[in-house]
Amino acid sequence: MAEEKILLDHGSGGKVSHSMFAELILPLFENPELSKQDDGAIFDVDKGKLAFSTDSYVVDPIFFPGGNIGDLAVNGTINDVSMCGAVPKFISVGLIIEEGFPVKDLKLILETMAGAAGKAGVKIVTGDTKVVPRGKADKIFINTSGIGVIPKGVDVSGGNAEPGDKIIISGTIADHGITVLSSREGLRFDSDIQSDSAPLNRMVSSITSSGCDIHVLRDPTRGGLGTTLNEIASQSRVGIKIDELSLPVRGAVQGVCELLGFDPLYIANEGKLIAFVPEKDAGKVLEIIRQDEFGKDAVIIGEVTNEDPGKVFLQTAIGGTRIIDMLTGEQLPRIC
Amino acid sequence: MSLKYIDEYRDAGLARQLVKKIQAVSKKKLRLMEVCGTHTMSIFRHGIRSVLPGGITLLSGPGCPVCVTAQKDIDAFVELTKIKDVIVTTFGDLIKVPGSGSSLANEKASGADVRIVYSLFDAVNLARKNKDKEIVFCGVGFETTIPTIAAGILIAAGDKIDNFSVYTSNKLTPPALAALMETPDIEIDGFILPGHVSVITGTNAYRDTFEKYDMPSVITGFEPIDILKAILILIQQNEEGKPALENAYPRAVSDQGNVKAKEIMNRVFEVCDAPWRGLGEIPFSGMKLKKEFQGFDAALKFDVNVPDMPEPKGCACGQILMGLKTPKECALYKKRCTPMNPVGPCMVSTEGSCAAFYRYN
Repeated sequence: MAEEKILLDHGSGGKVSHSMFAELILPLFENPELSKQDDGAIFDVDKGKLAFSTDSYVVDPIFFPGGNIGDLAVNGTINDVSMCGAVPKFISVGLIIEEGFPVKDLKLILETMAGAAGKAGVKIVTGDTKVVPRGKADKIFINTSGIGVIPKGVDVSGGNAEPGDKIIISGTIADHGITVLSSREGLRFDSDIQSDSAPLNRMVSSITSSGCDIHVLRDPTRGGLGTTLNEIASQSRVGIKIDELSLPVRGAVQGVCELLGFDPLYIANEGKLIAFVPEKDAGKVLEIIRQDEFGKDAVIIGEVTNEDPGKVFLQTAIGGTRIIDMLTGEQLPRIC
Repeated sequence: MSLKYIDEYRDAGLARQLVKKIQAVSKKKLRLMEVCGTHTMSIFRHGIRSVLPGGITLLSGPGCPVCVTAQKDIDAFVELTKIKDVIVTTFGDLIKVPGSGSSLANEKASGADVRIVYSLFDAVNLARKNKDKEIVFCGVGFETTIPTIAAGILIAAGDKIDNFSVYTSNKLTPPALAALMETPDIEIDGFILPGHVSVITGTNAYRDTFEKYDMPSVITGFEPIDILKAILILIQQNEEGKPALENAYPRAVSDQGNVKAKEIMNRVFEVCDAPWRGLGEIPFSGMKLKKEFQGFDAALKFDVNVPDMPEPKGCACGQILMGLKTPKECALYKKRCTPMNPVGPCMVSTEGSCAAFYRYN
């Protein structure tokens, strides 16, 4: 591509659009479905149930320690599909780009997306690019949708939690939200924290194929762990009790939270899952998660009870109890 | 090993020992008021109420700056957003506080240029970079914030930045405590005095009020161990009938306070009477710009005239801030007034007692 900046022409659907697709996009994502260049991707699927999910990404800044908007968009949808118990197969990508956006930044984002999809073993098979006049969007927004196949016998849902289930988290909380916040203009912290953006499909496959009974899988993204637990408590009409002392939070993340008055329980994660597992299988599932490259810090943080359905309680370090409510209001805008 | 100042003051074993001690010495029914909003938050976050004996009631006082900002001042902030070429800058907590008709958040959504800053210096720098705009900062805060506002104004004055101004709505803590003590029907058996404010004011700032009213008073920090220790001291003072002014936060608070910060504050500001939302006018409880700095006074620079409007009907924020009512005793609580749709300021700020009750109870 000769141009250094994205022009309105790149979204016109005409010659310039085609040359961008041929020179920039296709070489990065090449696969049989995409190469056909039809209006949509055509593919075979296994018999059984499909899972389908979509998400839009407007994170600010678009580049942050540990990733950028590109791998965030790919991993985010891979994870949403995976949390249905599915094996994600195909992803679509919609780009909305602001006129004047540097082509080298776009290239970097697309390369990261291709890398993320490749690493997860998922194909990007269809897409779309629109360019809007300068000032009408902020740099770049990305929508991704994904389709996955649910293996036979797998049935996970936020509504399946049962009293007695143990709750496992796959690692430290609040890394992504605090990293993005810390990289914002005017709020730079000198620390080594990184976004936890990562694909969790392999971890999920290992869990669901282990023969263990899995009730719920969820990735606590926007709204954080606190909000996700509330969603599950209310979907399953159960009570949830977690233990503050067991919650894994990195020291630097905790430090930034203390300084700015944030509660890590409400801060976004982009590479963590929580699993609700009957007590008999909890130890085995914990071990499986810990063997995954993104699950080394996994721990059991609490359990499901039949008291106070719909409510989440935290046993505080000092031995007190408090309610964890759902996040109200926007704590950190444009975190993903 | 270095002290991280988080884990040590959240030590579960130590906290449980303090709780045991509190339970052992507590006999009388006592109403203790935490003056500061950050204490209110911390008490909820660590579940401190749930470990106290039944006879101990914690009341949340007038220590959340957003909650005590007069409605008229909020209306003035809203009016400022309507002036051409004005960028209104504010700390995040203030943005959703409803005035009599609108809020900064509403105006922002309608297209006004309202920006959240994390420090006053960001607002000064915004003025430096936007010479064709007028940058106004909504100066809401206690002794903790006033020195930084003063420092910003001194920088702006030194660098001759003339498109920057502050609408001041500063508040001082000790006069408010004295006013509280003069309020009829008030039932308070002890004050948990603010930590951050006291870092600036020093212990001595409370001495006059303490001597006049003989009120058990303890300055403390924000970690569970700090707060439990303060509660234990207040119970002991009450049980023994020996009220005292104590500093349980000596790692941060001295008798004199931060002399330099006070000096900067007093160079730019002078004491004045101030209106507190729900509490009314309190003598000598505010700080206005001194004459030589009046060029930075947004209230004088822009002709902002807002009428006095009555506070929302049924809202008990005033009585809640004085410890006369708990949020649950307000007729609007959880009905018309929620964090999603707040009527009174105590429901807006994360440090407001109603919002804290709503979130954690």
